[in-house]
Amino acid sequence: MTQTSSDQTRYLCNPDVGLREEDEEGGLLFNPDTNQVKIVNSTGLFIWKQFTKVNQPDLVAAAILRNFEEAPAEVVQADLKEFLDEMIHSGFIGKVQSN
Amino acid sequence: MSDQHQEGRLISTPRKIDIALTGKCNLSCAYCFYADEMTSRTDLSTLQWLDVFESLGKLGVMNVILTGGEPFSRPDFFELVDGVVANRMRYSILSNGTLINGNTLAEFNQGKRRQRLDSIQISIDGSSPDVHDHSRPDSYSRALRGLKLLKDAGFPMTVRVTINRFNYRDLENIAHLLLEDIGLSGFSTNEAYPCGATNRYENEIMLNPIQRRDVMNTLTRLNSMFQGRISANAGPLVLSREESIIHEAQANGAKVLPGRGHLTACGGVFEKLAILHDGTIVPCHVISDLNLGNILTDDIKEIWQSHPLLHALRLRANISLGTITPCSTCAYKGYCTGGCPGGALFLNHDFNTRNPMDCYRILTGEETYPAFQVTSPS
Repeated sequence: MTQTSSDQTRYLCNPDVGLREEDEEGGLLFNPDTNQVKIVNSTGLFIWKQFTKVNQPDLVAAAILRNFEEAPAEVVQADLKEFLDEMIHSGFIGKVQSN
Repeated sequence: MSDQHQEGRLISTPRKIDIALTGKCNLSCAYCFYADEMTSRTDLSTLQWLDVFESLGKLGVMNVILTGGEPFSRPDFFELVDGVVANRMRYSILSNGTLINGNTLAEFNQGKRRQRLDSIQISIDGSSPDVHDHSRPDSYSRALRGLKLLKDAGFPMTVRVTINRFNYRDLENIAHLLLEDIGLSGFSTNEAYPCGATNRYENEIMLNPIQRRDVMNTLTRLNSMFQGRISANAGPLVLSREESIIHEAQANGAKVLPGRGHLTACGGVFEKLAILHDGTIVPCHVISDLNLGNILTDDIKEIWQSHPLLHALRLRANISLGTITPCSTCAYKGYCTGGCPGGALFLNHDFNTRNPMDCYRILTGEETYPAFQVTSPS
């Protein structure tokens, strides 16, 4: 299970997954290899964009807290973990191997 | 303007694009929606198409349908497929099947070409060369060969039968050939449309209303016989389904059905566009005369969101059939969606009208209609 507190593991979006941003309310992620589609809200969109480069969950959580000032930290952690778990499970985000 | 009928937010960019990769074709089919455009315009180059695919990928386009002309006639076809794949899209192919051979199938095995392929549609118009070649000259054996190669190799494939005056009596034989002899899971149907090359034949190829009724009955019977393995998004089988809907609605005393009573037939303008082989952007290949711009010079996102012709086509859904002639007096207007705007444009020179080919009142003979005089829209 993915850890998000003090998690040094690095993750990266699957480069084959496409993004359709409809507006500030969210968008749609599309994996053309599997024909899977995921609808994401504005927070999910923000998280996705954080992982378009190699990133760590704790850094992403910090970025969320900076951009969504009213979000409680524990809620952010939990939501991020849930989002990441789902994305990893479906192959939309992957773990980056350490050198 | 009539009452508001449909609310909904437009997606930011098209999800799908129909792409005519080339105007060249090794056949000269009698009803091809591409007529003189095929030779009067110049194909985009390999690099131009690859740039187009990069643009489409950045816009989040998810699916492209590769057609033509005959897409396999392009020597760089698989290089272009790789461009689609590299830009995160899936694709389908519309082909006459005649250029498909073992080498073609082997090419699909490279990279993600086959993984990203949704389907290959092959056109078959008859159960024998005599029938098929009448509308698709000198192509039956090669098309059938391509079809069988794809099927034997397990490709996701479909067959489209375009019903016309040359083959409508052959439908039962066609169904037996495709569904029993070759063993396809199904095939789709449409009919020759009043656009493109059909103009040259001045009604020698399109079904007349009596023939269309004949085909409706035949397809309904065959579809029952073959347990629903014949499909259609337009044409006589759809007319037959619509007739059943009307009869049921009348039996239930319904005067209006949800989503009907307005010109709502076409949802394409809410999710896709088409690009011709010279880069011209059009709403769809059926309406290739409505020039929205060119992919080489114009911003497709801007066109999608702001072009007045697209806006007008989308507003079509708000037009009540009760406000247009001759639908306002029609007893069936509450059950009707007005039909394809392409047909309306070609036959009436106005897409904000009904398509006579889809008109139930004309179909039943309650309204007489000139025998589909086909002229080019102004």
